[in-house]
Amino acid sequence: MMAVPALSMTGISKVFPGVRALDGVDFECLSGEVHAICGENGAGKSTLMKILGGSYRPDAGTIQLAGQAVRFTHPRQAAEAGIAIIHQELSLLPHRTVAENIFMGREIARRGLLDKAGMRRKAAALLSRIGAAIDPQALVSSLSIALQQLVEIAKALLMDARILVMDEPTAALDERDSRALLGLVEGLRREGVSIIYISHRMPEVMAIADRITILKDGKKVWTRPCDAAPIDEIVRAMVGRDLKDFYPATPVSAPGEVLLAVEGGTNAGLRDLTFEVRAGEIIGVAGLEDSGKGALAQALVGDVPFTGGAVTLRGKRIALRTPRQATAAGIGYLPGDRKSEGLALRQSVRDNALLTLRSLMGLFTRPQQGALAHDVIDERLGAMDVRAADFGQEIGTLSGGNQQKAIIVRWLAQASDILVFVEPTRGIDIAAKAAIYETMRAFADSGRGIVVISSDMPELIGIADRVLVMHQGRVSGAVPRGANEEDIMHLALGLADAPRGEAGA
Amino acid sequence: MMTVPQTSASLRRPARIAINAGLVIFIALYAAIGFLQPNYLEPGLFMNFLRRAAPLVILACGQLYVILTGGFDLSMGAVATLVVLAASILINGDPDTTWAVIGALYVMGVSIGLVNGFVVAFLKVPSIITTLGTMLLVNGLALAWSGGAARGDLPDNFRNLGRLVWRDVSVIGTLPLAAVVLAGFVALAWFGLNGTVYGKRALAVGDNPRAAELAGTPVAATRILAFVVSAVSAVTAGILLGGFSGVSVNAGEGLELQAIAACVIGGAQLLGGRGSVWSAVFGALSLFALFTLLNLLGLPQALRDSIQGVILIAAVGASMWRTRRRN
Repeated sequence: MMAVPALSMTGISKVFPGVRALDGVDFECLSGEVHAICGENGAGKSTLMKILGGSYRPDAGTIQLAGQAVRFTHPRQAAEAGIAIIHQELSLLPHRTVAENIFMGREIARRGLLDKAGMRRKAAALLSRIGAAIDPQALVSSLSIALQQLVEIAKALLMDARILVMDEPTAALDERDSRALLGLVEGLRREGVSIIYISHRMPEVMAIADRITILKDGKKVWTRPCDAAPIDEIVRAMVGRDLKDFYPATPVSAPGEVLLAVEGGTNAGLRDLTFEVRAGEIIGVAGLEDSGKGALAQALVGDVPFTGGAVTLRGKRIALRTPRQATAAGIGYLPGDRKSEGLALRQSVRDNALLTLRSLMGLFTRPQQGALAHDVIDERLGAMDVRAADFGQEIGTLSGGNQQKAIIVRWLAQASDILVFVEPTRGIDIAAKAAIYETMRAFADSGRGIVVISSDMPELIGIADRVLVMHQGRVSGAVPRGANEEDIMHLALGLADAPRGEAGA
Repeated sequence: MMTVPQTSASLRRPARIAINAGLVIFIALYAAIGFLQPNYLEPGLFMNFLRRAAPLVILACGQLYVILTGGFDLSMGAVATLVVLAASILINGDPDTTWAVIGALYVMGVSIGLVNGFVVAFLKVPSIITTLGTMLLVNGLALAWSGGAARGDLPDNFRNLGRLVWRDVSVIGTLPLAAVVLAGFVALAWFGLNGTVYGKRALAVGDNPRAAELAGTPVAATRILAFVVSAVSAVTAGILLGGFSGVSVNAGEGLELQAIAACVIGGAQLLGGRGSVWSAVFGALSLFALFTLLNLLGLPQALRDSIQGVILIAAVGASMWRTRRRN
């Protein structure tokens, strides 16, 4: 028997000036099915979902919901037809309550007046249906990202969504919250909701999806049931190469002298932190969302400084009270949120790569001479394999991987000793990831050090020489290269009886 | 390492020829003036046009510094008024004190710029509010000090800065001193943005202050310096204004908005991150050419204000539309 699919998109094509974003893509999703879409950035995933959500109109092709042809000209029509899209960037109003957000634009009114009690009741019911212990009257800004995501889902359910699109829902979540979210997806599936799941995290996709569709360069490569699609084959279909050599090889030489040492580092979010980074070492930092791993990065770059303790770099005591001091001392920062913290999007690739150099030189330095000359920086950008038609073009037009590489060039140009990476590959496709890992390894091998904070455990295990695990603002333990995820999780949950504050070099 | 296939989204754009929008508008408007009054095409009248446009062009160059860093300076018109009134009171008819007083005016201007800059950079008050405050403050002080009416007189050596015209200069015929001051100021403003790293810092701060700060840019110092440059331009413009229109309590009225409009017409982006000295120069010349044209057409002063409002909105609207289309 062949059930009518809840959603079927046939022959969808979409052309943007100069690029064929989608080329005759077929896609369907049954009710009660989790259908994952995988592909590199730019493969056409988001364009396909924007067409489904009514934000774009397709140039060719048809969309059918439960066998009925539909044609959306406005996102609102799609929402009314039962399609809900949860974006990576949340669309909640931070200063309103949870209930107000859930009912935004669809408030219940009684005789022209808002029925606040009714909305609170219904919001509470929705939230408990998805197993979220959230007070409907709490302000959204007081919730963690994970809980905000749940509010977003509750909002989708209010519309009685039959088709739920989740675009990188776990990108901002740590391991524990991701698992909870996956449990929730499972529950929705049992209620018969069709779920379209977009993620770069392969283990998650494998765990949750019924079927997987691979897109590459705007075309569908294949759709297969999950059990007939081993990870290797998915990756090969996405990037056209094998997964081996994904993480760079372990360095042969042992780490050198101590480069950066933090002793008793303390501030509002960190308690008595002691660890060191040696020349040639990549130190990973793992932990749950509120473990203080983000605060550690902010302290190291002087954004939210340590209030107690001492930091030495190459044996010299350094002050890290502002980002400018940290930068001048030789600590570079690669923020997790490139768009809002890393880049001046409307400036050229060159200007972004030269930003730190120009900021630290004397005010009367000529902006395009000596180390700041076009050909010098172009050579560095070329060596890093930053791909742009012209390094004079706005950096906002580059892909995430190329943007990340341009920021790395910024710190290489400044000859920084220590780089602090936060979520270095979030939202970056799998091919560019490998290139960034390669660059990190090469930077460390040149006798400098890296601290990498990440929620992606396979990434930390693959790239780091040592992983510090944080729990409640302290280092709860350190694991050497080759540890497994369970070891790290154990420490991250604070279950280990390892001595506190010890990093164990 | 194996070659990594890349997304095909990076398109080669056709090389954009850098012609300033303001230059095109200016040429069109000046051609219209020349059509109505052919003698405007003679070097002598063009030089006179430049002389009268000089204060606005100088103000626009100063305003541009603040706009690039993502702010506004609404206090510059008030500073120009203060300069005119203060000069007449301080000099008090004694030509020997002129140069000392001009020095004092610049010190005063720099102080006002520093106040604007410190309040914006450290108290984090939005620049539009900060400079609206200093505008009222400075205007009030100027009126109180002068007793609400123009007082005193400006000696000739002061007024010459705005008024003096050398005759019988080869090739161009006449050369106003104000045009020389104008060229000097524009050259300095150009050097500040293109000859030092300051320009790139200002653009980065205007584009994304948070990213600039994390990359080590001295964001506060960059902002403060922009307000100081803006105030210095206002003092310079005030001195020229005193030269050709004499002492008056509304010498600088409305000039701050004209300066902002000029930058935007020339292609600078409000809220920062895009623009060049040429946007300010040609934007200001365009705006002044438009005023001249309206005068020639015999439109009353009141309508000129309305048209200026329409142009400000149209220019900002067009710049927003261009930005959106590009994305």
